[in-house]
Amino acid sequence: MSYTRREILEVIRMSETEHFDVRTVTIGISLLDCSDPNPKICAQKIYSKISKYAHSLPEIVNEVADDLGIRVANKRIALTPLSLVATNPQPESYLEIAKEIDRCASDMGFDYVGGFSALVEAGFTAQETALIESIPSVLSQTIRVCSSINAGTTKLGLNFDAIAKVAKIIKDTAYLTRDKGSIGCAKFVVFANAVENNPFIAGAFHGVGNPEVLINVGLSGPGVVLDAIKRAGNCSIRELSEVIKRASYKVTRVGEIVGREVARRINVPFGIVDISLAPTPELGDSVGEVLMAMGIDTPGGTGTTAALALLTDAVKKGGVMATSAVGGLSGAFIPVSEDSAMIKAAASGDLSLEKLEAMTAVCSVGLDMVAIPGDTPYEIIAGFIADELSIGIINNKTTAVRVIPAYGKKAGEIVSFGGLLGDAPVQEIRTISPGRFISRGGQFPPPIISLRN
Amino acid sequence: MNRKEIALEVASILVKHLVPPPSEEVIEKIAAELILLVEKAGELEKPASRLAVCTVIGRNHSGIVHAFSEVLAENNVDIVDINQTIVHGNFAMMMVIDPTNSKVDFQSLKSLLKERGQRENVGVFLQYEDLMRELNRI
Repeated sequence: MSYTRREILEVIRMSETEHFDVRTVTIGISLLDCSDPNPKICAQKIYSKISKYAHSLPEIVNEVADDLGIRVANKRIALTPLSLVATNPQPESYLEIAKEIDRCASDMGFDYVGGFSALVEAGFTAQETALIESIPSVLSQTIRVCSSINAGTTKLGLNFDAIAKVAKIIKDTAYLTRDKGSIGCAKFVVFANAVENNPFIAGAFHGVGNPEVLINVGLSGPGVVLDAIKRAGNCSIRELSEVIKRASYKVTRVGEIVGREVARRINVPFGIVDISLAPTPELGDSVGEVLMAMGIDTPGGTGTTAALALLTDAVKKGGVMATSAVGGLSGAFIPVSEDSAMIKAAASGDLSLEKLEAMTAVCSVGLDMVAIPGDTPYEIIAGFIADELSIGIINNKTTAVRVIPAYGKKAGEIVSFGGLLGDAPVQEIRTISPGRFISRGGQFPPPIISLRN
Repeated sequence: MNRKEIALEVASILVKHLVPPPSEEVIEKIAAELILLVEKAGELEKPASRLAVCTVIGRNHSGIVHAFSEVLAENNVDIVDINQTIVHGNFAMMMVIDPTNSKVDFQSLKSLLKERGQRENVGVFLQYEDLMRELNRI
């Protein structure tokens, strides 16, 4: 037999019982040639540019998935940060463009588009100011457009004016989408050290260093790692790391094959595989459950950070051998509302926001999909963001905040978003005010580790 | 006329029109290079035979192997290799097949096999060999 029984049955098991799928095939498209002082013309240029490259992607991805016998959950688009696509710098201009992008994504069958973004780590241009002001109306008047702000980098420091603005935007968005559990906030993320080839929503954008167009792939895979850990039984920590590495290798391999094949058929360069373990609310597809299988009774207990650190590290080590280019965020995501075990731990109070923050120092992203009481003042949200982004700039890693101050909800209640976004228990947040610190404004200078030359 | 014959013919045409006629040594060199060239081109033209794997999992019963080999035979699909085993009490049959000369396209073949699987009350999976090949080998 050209393949062993084990090799064949393993592939069947991955897709049939371990919930494995490729989470997203994301096409990055440069919009740098779409600038126009008239927002209407700018929007038209963007529509035709997107449709030129992306219209055939959904069909091709389905063909590849069928041929290989693996599921691809989503097809998405990442655009050049729109604040770099110059137009008349008014919030209305950007709203008009966002609506056109939303229509374009819907016409071509994409569920989300990332790139309604601004990179403001050291200050604002007129375009960026206008775009940021438009975000609450964009997130409440469009369905598919996702927005992100990069408010800090290790190289340039942390823009506290941006953090204060972002906190207000989040509050406004929560209010404007109050009928739907403040869902607008689930489509917005604020970063430190944002990466330019992240295929995952809401933070995907097509960085300016990238070519005209690019295919990137994001994985899923907690189920595969979970099963491997369970099968390994009671082994030592080092063996545990090996087991995770092997599982990660296999998962990444699938992403690599899918990405290459899609890129070949659509005749676009292949970028990277993001080897992050991305959970879904489905049972058995949870990073929290992986931590539990590793030996922590409930995520949030002592030892959780160490387990997550071991997991993230082993995932990376296994993944790098399986693909020619690892990129994006690549680690383990811990979005509370999208992970069944995390939801449970947050609802019971076992997983506090403080512990979650500590975990983000060793995971790939940050405080992701956490709901807090709707009446939380903006200063406290700003402090929450500042803490998280500081971890990023000081440790030279990407960190992010996607927080939902659920309008009208109190701690202990649940906000339901449905689908992949899941259910978020509203978590208690400390009410001590950092207002005087935040209102100082200005720039947190680049940390000493930025001086590498 | 095969590729090699064409190469020799081209060489002879060249030689015919060359004045003065080249030495035998040169003729041989021209022919050898042309043959090499067309052989290389031929390799590129040849469609790479991409194998696929059909896996059947379910309760064992008489005629199960026949059922699926029948669907494959009807559609002119060659079984390259076949193997069966018992996994957790379930019957598992794995066939490596060559769909190159299949009468129907890959998706239709998959639906035909799945339909048959429903009648036989077993699960059927059909996929190209890529994942099996790449998943465990560096």
